[in-house]
Amino acid sequence: MGYNITEACIGCLACQAVCPSNAILGEKKKQHRIDADLCIDCGACGRVCPAGAVENPLGLIAEKIRKKDWARPWFDMDICISCNICLDTCPAGALDANMQKVGSRHLFPWLARESSCMACTFCAQDCPVDAITMGPRQSGPVTRKN
Amino acid sequence: MNKKANGYMGKIMRVDLSLGKIQIENIPHAVYESFLSGMGLAAYLLYHRIPAGADPLGPDNILGFVSGLLTGTGSLFTGRWMVTGKSPLTNGWGEANCGGNFSPAIKRCGVDGIFFTGISPKPVYLHVDDAGAELRDAKDVWGKDTVETEVHLLEKANNRKARVACIGMAGENLSLISGISTDKGRMAARSGLGAVMGSKNLKALVLARTRRIPVHNRDEIKRLSKICNNWVQFQPPFVPGFLTGPIGAILRIMPAVITQDGLLYKILLRKWGTVSMNQISVEMGDSPIKNWNGTSADWGFSKSISSNPDVFTKKETEKFHCYSCPLGCGGICKTRGRFSETHKPEYETVLSFGGFVMNQNMDTIFYLNELLNRAGMDSISAGHAVAFAMECFEKKIITTRDTQGMELKWGDTEAIEFLVKKMIAREGIGDILADGVKMAAERIGNGAQKIAIHCGGQEPAMHDSRNDPGLALHYCVDPAPGRHSNGSGLYYEMYQLWKKVKGIPKMGPGYLKSSKYKKNIRHARIGKANSQYLNVMNGAGVCQFGGFLGAKRIRIFDWLNAATGWQITPEQYMEIGTNIQTLKQAFNVRQGILPRENRLHDRLLGLPAQTKGANKGRSVDVDTMMKDYWELFGWDRETGIPSQDIINKVDIDYVGRDRIASID
Repeated sequence: MGYNITEACIGCLACQAVCPSNAILGEKKKQHRIDADLCIDCGACGRVCPAGAVENPLGLIAEKIRKKDWARPWFDMDICISCNICLDTCPAGALDANMQKVGSRHLFPWLARESSCMACTFCAQDCPVDAITMGPRQSGPVTRKN
Repeated sequence: MNKKANGYMGKIMRVDLSLGKIQIENIPHAVYESFLSGMGLAAYLLYHRIPAGADPLGPDNILGFVSGLLTGTGSLFTGRWMVTGKSPLTNGWGEANCGGNFSPAIKRCGVDGIFFTGISPKPVYLHVDDAGAELRDAKDVWGKDTVETEVHLLEKANNRKARVACIGMAGENLSLISGISTDKGRMAARSGLGAVMGSKNLKALVLARTRRIPVHNRDEIKRLSKICNNWVQFQPPFVPGFLTGPIGAILRIMPAVITQDGLLYKILLRKWGTVSMNQISVEMGDSPIKNWNGTSADWGFSKSISSNPDVFTKKETEKFHCYSCPLGCGGICKTRGRFSETHKPEYETVLSFGGFVMNQNMDTIFYLNELLNRAGMDSISAGHAVAFAMECFEKKIITTRDTQGMELKWGDTEAIEFLVKKMIAREGIGDILADGVKMAAERIGNGAQKIAIHCGGQEPAMHDSRNDPGLALHYCVDPAPGRHSNGSGLYYEMYQLWKKVKGIPKMGPGYLKSSKYKKNIRHARIGKANSQYLNVMNGAGVCQFGGFLGAKRIRIFDWLNAATGWQITPEQYMEIGTNIQTLKQAFNVRQGILPRENRLHDRLLGLPAQTKGANKGRSVDVDTMMKDYWELFGWDRETGIPSQDIINKVDIDYVGRDRIASID
């Protein structure tokens, strides 16, 4: 079972605006619904819902979080293997891989479009070598540039 | 078995280009359990759905773009996508395999493959995003090269998730040696499937969906990926490029060899890419010279030094990693002249336009590499066509009257560029050569067939079967013949499969080179294991260079179980490889191909044996190996044809047309 919009929905369209997979259907001032086939469980809808109308897959109401407090990916370039998996898995296309370390011709990923990031954590989940950590802005747990 | 789709998506997209109709079809779990996804899924569907005698360039042919079962699961080296269909070059099973970043884009569309039938009345491209799938007019990009097309379509899509695969002018012109490009120069080049795409008036696919790929046990996959990555990151310093030639010469002189651990090749790949083998291969006799008629003595150290791997890495400004690859054997090189940059030429391209046509000018190779990538033409087959034309000219089968006055002398860069440009434009002599050497020889006649080197219509790769008889077996016995990637004795050494799979030949620490040429059923057993494993890799979407790490370091079987939730043993996975190989063979038989007639050109077998060079005195008895190989698969020993009983044993119930789930 995935995300669900309850009757508490006020039809503000905020969730539709952030959904990276166009999975939210509905009109203004009418209860929205989620197309389960399109939904990728990123949870962005829950993080922006002002009415507490979004249930997560565990059946719990998702909590609204101010966007500036959303967790951001931090990349440890000493661990990163330049495999591009995070670039592909990011549903928002927020990452780029054009960062080079001195002395290396390999390209490394970074958060090139912070405003696009949904804080879905897919990049950190899918990173095969755990080179990505989710953390608050400007206080990354690792030493490298995000 | 677990009945939830994990690892695979459980659906395919069907596009009828004649009707402009796009449908999603559910595929039963049983198909994946018997054939995996990727090439296996395609083998199953195309065997059942392409009618006997279908015109490869007609509406009945089905062109499939498939992604691997492990793609997008967090596993490493699993970014290969494959194109399949009936090949216009061989009239049999056609497949081409490519890296880059296109493979996960297929699965993120919610499907394991996209299959095209029919012919569009006008040039179109398929656009898929979260709003749906549609065929769009391709008039803006028809006639453009692959790089221009990709840039244009990405701009138009205005979607950062978009990935493009497209054909260039060669595919549009139905050149039978054309391929399909992605990432501005990664090419699914073989089998002439670019022409099939062109024949369908399909210019490109633009995929930009964001589906999540389901995985049974992501933590276990990650654990296995870390083990694999630890081996990839092991990178001790290695000799400079100019010493690779002498290393090859030493290996040539030794009567015995140490069984090769693929870790050594990984070190070479990480440092230089496939060009690391440029000089080693020539010195060892692995690289054919002068249209398979020359020897390593004709292309000695003083000539091959021009292609030493440092020449290429000096121009490399950044490494290119395919999706999920920790190795990064590719690269982007800055060049001078008409093109400012190109993908680092691969070994196959360098040798095809190097020793194979006696050319020492590497600037020409950089240029031709980009020219062919942009045209969407297979550089192996194009190199063969050039060498074939040069030998025809040398033997006076063709003259300057046929070549617009151009003298086709070996190694003449002007003549080489002339021929390639003419082939791309399909003008004059180029029109004759643009469909591969088999077709060209038939058109030219006058004894040209004797010097047209091909395997059932497909030009073989830059690896000499006289040096590795296992290559000879796979060149002729595989349903898609003429591929170095199908298998060889050396590949088997590097796969180290016997460490994971019971009941297959084990390799000792070393062996005498002469043992490779003696009759022994062991050669066919190794060939069978190679084919089975390759089918598993192609079903999973695994890069062969990853496979070379060795089965205990890259745990493909364990990854598959972790991704799907199945509990299948390595031996059972190898049987899945048998299922796939049998259906591909049955596909060929149905299309009228008699496997026993697909014998190699005498030059590939050392008949007569060469009198100098690395392969001096070497001849290959491929007939016995072929028969043994067929028998081991349970097919007829004399004809190579699988009986209906054998086919029924590996096949499963036909997937009916009533399984269409939805229409986009």
